[in-house]
Amino acid sequence: MRRIANVNRRARLLGPLAVLVAVVLAVSACGSSSSNSSGANGEAGVNVGKPQSGGSLTVLEDSGFAGGYASGLDPATDTTGGANLPQMQSIFGGLFLLEADSKGQNAKIVPNQAQSYSFSDGGRTMTIKLRPGIKFSDGTPFDAQTVVWNMLRDSKSPCSCAPVWQLTKKNPIVAKGNLTVVIHMTQPNGSLISNFPISNVNWIASKSAFEKMGAAKFKTAPVGAGPFTVVSDKLSSELVLKKNPNYFKKGLPYLDNLTFKSVGGDQPAYQALEAGQADAYEGMSTVPLIDQAQKNSKFVVTQEPATSPYVVQLNTMKAPFNNIKAREAIYYATDFSAISKGLFKQDLPVSGSFVGPGGLFYHKSVPGYRSYDLAKAKQLVKELGGLTVQLGTTNIYTANQVMTALQTQWQKAGIKVTTHSYALNQVIQQFTSGSWNAMLQTAGAWDPAAGVGVAFRFASTSPFTGVKDPKLDQYFNEAGATTDPTKRDQDYLKAAEYISQKAYAPFGFAFSPANIAVKGVHGPGLTTPIPGLAVNTQVLWDQVWRAQ
Amino acid sequence: MSAVSGLLPTRSGSGLGRLGRVAGSPLLRLIVKRVLLAIPILLGVSVLTFWVLSLIPGDPARAMLGMNATDQQVATLRHEYHLDESGPHRYLDWLTSALHGDLGTFMVSSQSMTSMLGDRWPVTFELVILAFVVSLGLAVPVALLAARWPGSVFDRISMLCSVTGLAVANYVLALLLAIVFAVELGVLPSIGYVSLSHSIVGNLKSMVLPTLAIAIPLFCFYTRFLRGDIVDQMQSEDYVDTARAKGIGPWRILWMHAFRNSSFGLITIVGLNVGTLVGGTVIIEQIFALPGLGQLLLQGINTRDTVVVQDLVILFAAIAVLANLLVDVLYAVLDPRIRYGSR
Repeated sequence: MRRIANVNRRARLLGPLAVLVAVVLAVSACGSSSSNSSGANGEAGVNVGKPQSGGSLTVLEDSGFAGGYASGLDPATDTTGGANLPQMQSIFGGLFLLEADSKGQNAKIVPNQAQSYSFSDGGRTMTIKLRPGIKFSDGTPFDAQTVVWNMLRDSKSPCSCAPVWQLTKKNPIVAKGNLTVVIHMTQPNGSLISNFPISNVNWIASKSAFEKMGAAKFKTAPVGAGPFTVVSDKLSSELVLKKNPNYFKKGLPYLDNLTFKSVGGDQPAYQALEAGQADAYEGMSTVPLIDQAQKNSKFVVTQEPATSPYVVQLNTMKAPFNNIKAREAIYYATDFSAISKGLFKQDLPVSGSFVGPGGLFYHKSVPGYRSYDLAKAKQLVKELGGLTVQLGTTNIYTANQVMTALQTQWQKAGIKVTTHSYALNQVIQQFTSGSWNAMLQTAGAWDPAAGVGVAFRFASTSPFTGVKDPKLDQYFNEAGATTDPTKRDQDYLKAAEYISQKAYAPFGFAFSPANIAVKGVHGPGLTTPIPGLAVNTQVLWDQVWRAQ
Repeated sequence: MSAVSGLLPTRSGSGLGRLGRVAGSPLLRLIVKRVLLAIPILLGVSVLTFWVLSLIPGDPARAMLGMNATDQQVATLRHEYHLDESGPHRYLDWLTSALHGDLGTFMVSSQSMTSMLGDRWPVTFELVILAFVVSLGLAVPVALLAARWPGSVFDRISMLCSVTGLAVANYVLALLLAIVFAVELGVLPSIGYVSLSHSIVGNLKSMVLPTLAIAIPLFCFYTRFLRGDIVDQMQSEDYVDTARAKGIGPWRILWMHAFRNSSFGLITIVGLNVGTLVGGTVIIEQIFALPGLGQLLLQGINTRDTVVVQDLVILFAAIAVLANLLVDVLYAVLDPRIRYGSR
């Protein structure tokens, strides 16, 4: 009795405390909200006035993705270069960039440090003319010899970030004069130019600085010809940059200082933005926080055109997915449409292929694609005598949510599923070790062949493929070997049909993360949409400015 | 007497005689004994860590270089980092280098571990020290007050707070603290670290929330433990009744007798907490974006860098061993029976 009385007393005391905690939570949730919604399109098509020079900006990056660069920022060895676009673009600029109009439409690759490019020899030779007068921030000339040195170094690097170019053995990349670089390939590569902005070869480092510093030091204090120079760098923690006085674009960059800080995920990042400790965050993927940011009058939320649909990669080189029946069971057990409605409260278009609605060569449906059919899935699992799957994904909020939803759906079909959430480096390790089973990833890019493109997930030569099929390689090669958009469209559709026919990997909806900036900060890719090259958009940091 | 004896100080003088007394002191013998005992413990931890890390499947060199790398390139990297040598050989190499002050290299960035640890240890060290100071600084007076009037409103509130604090995970508390003090009140930063050399005020401000996130659960635990132990002593120990019979005031009994006795238990718990606490900084450093050892350990694990993990695990183990040595010394200081080996 005394014990019960004690419990009751405790309950009476705990009651008010619970209310107190609830009030604190409610106040903190409401306090940051406002009825003014900024919408999800940022400042697309909005006149925000004339850009102003000066000021500093602190940008947050998720330490599990763009903010993770343990291998440093040397283009030849940055294994996560495709994720570290913000840092790389700020320091190195880039030979080419993806730009779009202020509404995020008409996206195209434009020369930046390059002045122009052309193809010859049936697409086997690419000639890049460099913009004259560019200097690295250490004062040395940005010339063809340095670009060739960089490209050869990148190509020969054992890094998984090395470009997959079919170069000729003799004189693969040569300089002609001071401003012309010629790349010789054994076969045409129609997507070569689309690949540049997300490839490590796009970022040209100062050879002189590299030789002076040595490889180890260069990783933390790289020297490029981009809009900013490195002040200090703590790997995967904080990168402090200042304006490059030698930057080749007159009047740019607008900002005097730019700092990238790595944070442990969306929630701490959002709180830091609310606390006024940072001015922008790239790649917010937590849907409730995106919603909250949209309702907050302090922020501008820009959701980029989605280009890369989810894909459940199946490792067809080992059991159980070396059996088509197991793969078919996964197709029939998967209902991405229900996941879209359930998790995202919206009917995101589910793709039957590796292209999302914001990308090139998008098709709403793929003929013969196996859609959700629980009865068929159950039947196949029964025929297989059971199916056990290890499903993994990158440790990102949305991906984890989708993975859990898939687990639930597959379990309904009688599939035994265990899930694993990995940091980016661990994902790479899983793929390279070949021990993985099924992996929820995103496929394609703005151009299906660029960056984390379709070949990245499906070509036999890729370290990140679950498929080794010469016929599929052939489709990709044909699509990549032409610069004719109509032909490429047809080839990619054929490849999508083939993947579907072989049940190599079910595709889902394309979801793009959002960029959040405080009001008064403006810039292409940050507050106006640009299609994501792979996952995140490449913000054009030299054009980012803040109202003074 | 030889010439040598002339150089020796007299028995009553300072110098060697004093040294002799110090050398013969039970406390020093205890410290030496514990330090000697720490050596096999640390060696055991290092062997165990090395062995466990070697069991993880996959090749770190291949994982780092990717599938594009040729076998020759992988072999070169393996050779560069001695991954091509046998396990025992690699372990002895690492041990020899570590004993000479070379802790190896962070494979993915080619940075020296010695310099990385040098950059990062002050952050974690400061965080842990502040967390202990705050938690003990609050727990002792609160526990004493609660034990002075058991069952009072103050006692009940303090116990309620302790139970609640223990029930909340430190990462949830971290986010909650950031919402209240950084977002709502705007008085403290929610991320980032300012070094002491840059600004003392800035440093303290940047450490308040991470410190509280670690210290509050500790404070709750210590308060609950200490209050219970003191109340127990006050109600059941004969020496308390004797002291009361002598007319000693309740505060003096509480402070000089009961608390002194209870502090043994508290010191033990604090010593045992050190290892857990240092490990716990991994999450807190991640949430508050503090560039400390916890963040480095996470990077090491993510990149499968055995040298980083090995170095940090040994460092954390050494800290735990050192903390327990301090606990033993404090025992001896507080209780002469331990010092003179009668217990």
